[in-house]
Amino acid sequence: MNTENTPRALPTTIPEYLEQLRVALAGADPAMIQDALYDAEEYLRSELAEQAGKSEAEVIAGVAGSYGAPEEVAEIYRETEVTVSRALRTPGMRMTPAAVAAAAAAAATSTGTAVPPPPAPAGQRSLPARFFGVALDPHTYGALFYMLLSLATGTFFFTWVVTGLSLSVSLLILIIGIPILLLFLGSVRVLSLVEGRIIETMLGVRMPRRPAYTDKSQSWLARIGAMFSDVRTWLTMLYFLLMLPLGTLYFTIATTLLSLSLALMFAPLARLFVDQPVGIWIDGVNVAAGFWLWPVSVAVGALLLFATLHLARGIGQLHGAMAKQLLVRL
Amino acid sequence: MSDLEAHLRKFQKELSTGTVSLALLAVLAKAPEPLYGYLIAKELERIGDGVLSGKQSALYPVLRNLEGAGLLESHVEPSVAGPPRRYYRINDDGRAALRQWIAAWDATRNSLESVLEGIT
Repeated sequence: MNTENTPRALPTTIPEYLEQLRVALAGADPAMIQDALYDAEEYLRSELAEQAGKSEAEVIAGVAGSYGAPEEVAEIYRETEVTVSRALRTPGMRMTPAAVAAAAAAAATSTGTAVPPPPAPAGQRSLPARFFGVALDPHTYGALFYMLLSLATGTFFFTWVVTGLSLSVSLLILIIGIPILLLFLGSVRVLSLVEGRIIETMLGVRMPRRPAYTDKSQSWLARIGAMFSDVRTWLTMLYFLLMLPLGTLYFTIATTLLSLSLALMFAPLARLFVDQPVGIWIDGVNVAAGFWLWPVSVAVGALLLFATLHLARGIGQLHGAMAKQLLVRL
Repeated sequence: MSDLEAHLRKFQKELSTGTVSLALLAVLAKAPEPLYGYLIAKELERIGDGVLSGKQSALYPVLRNLEGAGLLESHVEPSVAGPPRRYYRINDDGRAALRQWIAAWDATRNSLESVLEGIT
């Protein structure tokens, strides 16, 4: 194994190692940091269990060679994340400024590597191309589906938090409230991870793929205490409570705009199948009886449909940003 | 001298990007039961040499990517030693991909060997 000069002294305990790794990853995507800490802890704990005779410091010294010192590990995760996000990006999609900066930083660190130039900035695409291009973005449909789904998930999350919280708090007078409260808090963490997976799949916002890192060296009581003092626990509950009104709003917006635009687009077609006078009826008066209004109706419907797709993508990005703020530990 | 070393490091890195995925798939294809990250790393350390003996932290993101690509499946089991472990298992898509990758690797290796032949 190659010996590399590490800028800092090697940590002697696993929490120290993880802390150094967290420091070395500072500024990176919080979701990626959470994953990296999780992976490192799994490796370190397994190694420690494997080499039962050795002290923690000795094991970590060995691990620095095989797994990597915290700084090296941070470097590896940063590079892999950039490579992967670049590989997974669909061509034609715009790069976010953050991704461009990250790619540039990676290019600067890997000296002499030929890095493909970043895709042309969005400003160079024509306005119609940008307006209709939204239909080619997979995240648009993900966001639209998320909006429809959020009524169900929002109702569930809201019910879960309200029921769990009121049940466990009111039962606290009896001793049985304590285990129920702990179970409930644990379930909130799991649900947070689940919602994160949904958001990453549908909205394309990087979310944790591993549960939040907990310091296993502490006693049970200390860890339970940490769960209460962890601001993420409460922010997650706030997010779940918010999901009911937001979910209802998203669902309403999606169904209303989709049905309106699709109805406008296919209204002329309906004439062929339905034996009813077709038009736009206001107070029993058909304001659009004339043939000339049919192409107008189709055009307006199509424009509205694309505007809806834009709105869905925008809501998806906003919601993703909000979820990241509330659900991911910084 | 350090220049040569830097060239070697860069070459090793580029060499490892593809081969590590192939090695991970192969290890999981041969394993009779699902393995978690640490065991896979140790298995590669035991048999591996050259670029495969690089830093083992690099394996975890690759495992996650292979799972994301649908070539691996995983489940989580609690462990006594630390955080719950994620066990990886190769699926049918993964085996199909592995067969193709092995063919590609064989072709590459054969042509590389004939190119490198005679160089001391």
